[in-house]
Amino acid sequence: MEHARHVFRAALVLVVAVAAVMLGRGLLVPRSYGIYGPYRADNVGEQMAVREPRHAGPAACAACHEKQATARTAGGHRTVSCEICHAPLSAHVRAGAVVARMPVDPSVALCARCHRRIAGRPEKFPQVVLEQHVEGALESGVCLGCHDPHSPKP
Amino acid sequence: MPESPSPTPAAPAPEDPARRDFLEQALRLAGGAFVFFCGGTAAEAVSGAAGEAYNWDEHRYAYLIDTEKCIGCGSCVRACRAENDVPDGFFRTWIERYVVGPEGSHVDSPAGGLEGFPPVQTAFTPTKSFFVPKICNHCKETPCIQVCPVGASYRTRDGVVLVDGQRCIGCGYCVQACPYGSRFLSPRTHTAEKCTWCYHRITKGLRPACVEVCPTGTRQFGDMKRDDDPVRRQIERERVAILQPHLLTEPQCFYLHLDKEVR
Repeated sequence: MEHARHVFRAALVLVVAVAAVMLGRGLLVPRSYGIYGPYRADNVGEQMAVREPRHAGPAACAACHEKQATARTAGGHRTVSCEICHAPLSAHVRAGAVVARMPVDPSVALCARCHRRIAGRPEKFPQVVLEQHVEGALESGVCLGCHDPHSPKP
Repeated sequence: MPESPSPTPAAPAPEDPARRDFLEQALRLAGGAFVFFCGGTAAEAVSGAAGEAYNWDEHRYAYLIDTEKCIGCGSCVRACRAENDVPDGFFRTWIERYVVGPEGSHVDSPAGGLEGFPPVQTAFTPTKSFFVPKICNHCKETPCIQVCPVGASYRTRDGVVLVDGQRCIGCGYCVQACPYGSRFLSPRTHTAEKCTWCYHRITKGLRPACVEVCPTGTRQFGDMKRDDDPVRRQIERERVAILQPHLLTEPQCFYLHLDKEVR
């Protein structure tokens, strides 16, 4: 035993070093790292639950607003989601309860985003030169004087 | 060289029982420590990762954009902003307008198309003009994941390229590596951000917000593992293009009626 002490010391140092590396690795590398690949597997679940979906689609709106929903599906705006002109459903309803009034934007700018004649739009898409189409000022609400936004006629 | 036996035949070494014991015990100890540190962590984590109801092996998502249908209204850009809290001045998706003539071409994207597009005057006479929505291509061979030094960027088994904000150190290599300009460093978190195809929506069976609101059907989202998927059928049967095919990144965003001017 006496003449093997130096080996004992060297082995002890080795064991301590290995344990330190493993302890350090255990503390620094995230628990789920490397299960599916070189990334933290837990993040996949975190990304799924990052937040509740905010847009719900027209069907959710139809549950309460039947009149507008029926008009929309019958008219020229049947492919236009309610949430485009108003706001995501989560701005109005959360967990089944109304949290705020849905914004209604009657401005010309809202209609103009789609229907102002500009370079780039497909020719057959309905669009107008605002200055020629509207008599007088381009003030808020002027489009709604003639067009029903839920079911516009050309 | 053949092994050279030692000139003098080795005398049977005087075995030291203590040394052998020690080595055996040290080996056991090291092995035990190894199992303790490695085994304990992996087994726990597998369960919580991919959720219960959703199986990512059953899906492989793809995105299809028909540039002939886009009217440049910017609803998708606004929806993305509202759905994902995208910081002002940055975009996970945006729209570009190309105005092209024989003498030149003009490309613009005012605020990413967030509030639509104004009329445009060009010095040349344009012969064609069109909008092109852009988004992360969720490439199969991603440059962005390859350059990440900390394993923060990865591709899920259902084909979505994501960034782990906890791992990301904000070095910005991936932002530079992406040839499509799809990533940015968030001024809020100082980590890389990008389109996730609304991973929190698609794993619940919903469509990404940009696809959900698109009024013309320009943007479509599909699942290549579903037999009856209309997007899969179009990608398989129509003539589809991808952006910058020479880079061999294998984008999973496909374009219909893509013009040669588009990069």
